[in-house]
Amino acid sequence: MTPAAVLAATPMSTGEMWVFIPLGILALVGALGMVAARNAVHSALFLVLTMLCLGVFYIVQSGPFLGVAQIIVYTGAIMMLFLFVLMLVGRDASDSLIETLRGQRVAAILLGVGFAGLVCVGLGRALAGTTAKGLAEANSAHGGNVQGLASLLFTRYVFAFEVTSALLITAAVGAMLLAHIERRKGERPTQPEQMRARFAPGNYPAPKAGPGVYATSDSVATAGLLPDGTLAARSIPEILPPRELTSSETAPKGTDR
Amino acid sequence: MTLTPEWYLLLAAALFTIGAVGVLIRRNAIVLFMCVELMLNAANLALVTFSRINGTLDGQIIAFFVMVVAAAEVVVGLAIIMSIFRTRRSASVDDSNLLKY
Amino acid sequence: MNDLKLPAIDYAALAPMLILFGVACLGVLVEAAVPRARRGLVQVPLGLLGLVAALVFVIAEAGTRKRTAGEAIAIDGPALFLQGAIIVLGVVALLLIAERSLEPGGPFVAQPARPVGSEADRSQAAGEGGATEAYPLVMFALAGMLLFVAANDLLTMFVALEVFSLPLYLLCALARRRRLLSQEAALKYFLLGAYASAFFLFGIALIYGYAGAITFSRIHQAVTAGTGSGVLLFAGLALLAIGLLFKAAAAPFHVWTPDVYQGAPTPITSLMAACTKTAAFGALLRVLYVGFPGATWDFRPIIGVIAILTMLVGAVLAVTQTDMKRLLAYSSIANAGYLLVGVLAMTPEGVSSTLFYLVAYGFTVIAAFAVVTLVRDADGEATHLSRWAGLGRRSPLFAGVFTFLLLAFAGIPLTSGFTSKFAVFGAAFGGGQVWLVVAGVVTSMLLAFPYLRVVVMMWLSEPGESTPSVSVPGAFTSAALVIGVLVTLLLGVLPGPLLDLTTRAGDFVR
Repeated sequence: MTPAAVLAATPMSTGEMWVFIPLGILALVGALGMVAARNAVHSALFLVLTMLCLGVFYIVQSGPFLGVAQIIVYTGAIMMLFLFVLMLVGRDASDSLIETLRGQRVAAILLGVGFAGLVCVGLGRALAGTTAKGLAEANSAHGGNVQGLASLLFTRYVFAFEVTSALLITAAVGAMLLAHIERRKGERPTQPEQMRARFAPGNYPAPKAGPGVYATSDSVATAGLLPDGTLAARSIPEILPPRELTSSETAPKGTDR
Repeated sequence: MTLTPEWYLLLAAALFTIGAVGVLIRRNAIVLFMCVELMLNAANLALVTFSRINGTLDGQIIAFFVMVVAAAEVVVGLAIIMSIFRTRRSASVDDSNLLKY
Repeated sequence: MNDLKLPAIDYAALAPMLILFGVACLGVLVEAAVPRARRGLVQVPLGLLGLVAALVFVIAEAGTRKRTAGEAIAIDGPALFLQGAIIVLGVVALLLIAERSLEPGGPFVAQPARPVGSEADRSQAAGEGGATEAYPLVMFALAGMLLFVAANDLLTMFVALEVFSLPLYLLCALARRRRLLSQEAALKYFLLGAYASAFFLFGIALIYGYAGAITFSRIHQAVTAGTGSGVLLFAGLALLAIGLLFKAAAAPFHVWTPDVYQGAPTPITSLMAACTKTAAFGALLRVLYVGFPGATWDFRPIIGVIAILTMLVGAVLAVTQTDMKRLLAYSSIANAGYLLVGVLAMTPEGVSSTLFYLVAYGFTVIAAFAVVTLVRDADGEATHLSRWAGLGRRSPLFAGVFTFLLLAFAGIPLTSGFTSKFAVFGAAFGGGQVWLVVAGVVTSMLLAFPYLRVVVMMWLSEPGESTPSVSVPGAFTSAALVIGVLVTLLLGVLPGPLLDLTTRAGDFVR
């Protein structure tokens, strides 16, 4: 056995163990927090935490390229897209905890615990004797991890690689289709049309006068006065009726005492 | 105490289960979708670990493809969720109940 | 550092897929370059021509049995047959999709981004031309399906699964009428589809851990050698099967089917019922026959139970349905069960009978959905079952055609339904799976009831005030309907040639 192979077959170095234990716990906390958090934005941030931990694990397990891609692409782009949409959806982000199907939650959790137990026991027993071969050899065959990945990407999996372009085109077309409203000619008035409408007979082209400012009131609900002393209805918003202040409103409020 | 790489697999299985349960118990479509993302991430962790155990890079390549696929899937999914939200002002899957048995 | 040795790629063998991907990309360019009013006129011939060209290449390659593109693609008998079937079914479904005379503007909404119920939405419902982006999406979906049935390793299969799923999720959301229902269908299909593909992916991870590789030949070697842990093998295979059975709409992974079939635009429903089912079963055949034949004794009982459950769920719940599209959805679920019976024979006859069944069922179901698009009132399609009462008096021709199709679903002799059911049951019997055959025959009798109920309702009830009219189909729908009905009849009367073809196409390469 070569020294390298012995090294690779050793379980985990002490350093790796000290990376795995805290970050593994953090990843679990992130996952549980994502499911438990009521606010969807908190869920997303918990998921970011888990993904960052996984990124470190990839780097530790001789996959530096994947680790960096995980942090940049997954955490940096995909999760930010999630957050972006959550912020757009915004107000409704909090989740109701009311069950619509009675007992569904309990059943799901029991099912999950059972599944996890089964898989963990099974995996633990299945892999108890295996030794990890390690990636030192595979990574050095082409001069490095990135070169090794590239050589696979452009030989054995070249067709799948090319086909992912179809996925990306589909995604772009789909986003356009479902999110973009095309405004055609004629739906929005052109500048000459807006100009003509402004100076058309019956329209008042100048800015409207502001509301009145008086010693007793400068509210937007108080109309300004025209030269002949009448109230100018156009000086206040249409939804507010023109009115003058009542005597009780103008009376001292007692704040001067 | 020494740990072996299969602990990564146990962690991956646990994360996968949490995601799978999350899909069943949460109601917000976006959170549901995040749970699916967690499941994909758990699968990636398992792939990378098996890659190390097997001593081949195929697992890492699959994980790389999963990232690309997930990116496209997220775009499509969020577009569908947004289009529903525009009409209903709600992202809860319970409000989507026109279709029933 | 050693040099990169690029894999040999047989472009002629890959040509059908390359052509469809190319046509889809061209379609996207057409969307960008051609004025809106003329896009449909360009897209439909472009799509049909592309499909025909792909079919020509499939036929020209009929004798090819090889792996290419670095073992990622297997071009063999089942792959070529299924590719041909998907292309031909795709042509017929595309005819339905292209129909514009039934409804002003076609089956798709003009601008899906407009909020439902807004001013702009009401004005576009009146007859603005539908979104032509649907055509490139259909082409992407079909190309993905061609790749799905030919994928020779699990990674390519996963990518192909997503390539044909994503366009279908989008297409579901594009219905012109009942848009809320349509968007909900898309959301459900998407969320459950993503969930299922996550299971599929974890299955890939476990199988990779088991076999150390993901090509089916290496997996087969590992399974027959029996090294490695059984837990990884069985858990991995189970998770893979969940992903595939979801697409095939087998119980208990069928819950999306009725909702999505009902909500999606009817031509897209026909595409899903015919082509997606074909692709899903093609992939399932390859996984079970090429990758895991060494584990037959382990998976057969479990998938057998799933098959029986699927047939039962489909047959029993079809009885309770009140909507035509949901009824056809449950019938499609039950048919997934019969297909599984054929798959589980695990003999060459199992492969060929499943291939035959897929083609026969595909044509019948497209024709059935074509009739559904014709029965309409002022609000679009009238799919509620009660509205179909008395249709026989109002339009004997279409009621007669639909009766024939329902009889084919029920498996009455002289229709393709009979020969195909006979073929799969015969194969399962030959494979020693008598229990599956018994369950299949019992559920077929059960399933005949909802079909006959519709037939009785159409012919023996008086047409009422609310009985909708049957629209006169345009050229495209007529063509699709005629093709579907003729094939259903031909395969019932004269199944020999296709049976021979499926027998010759039954050999996988490993």
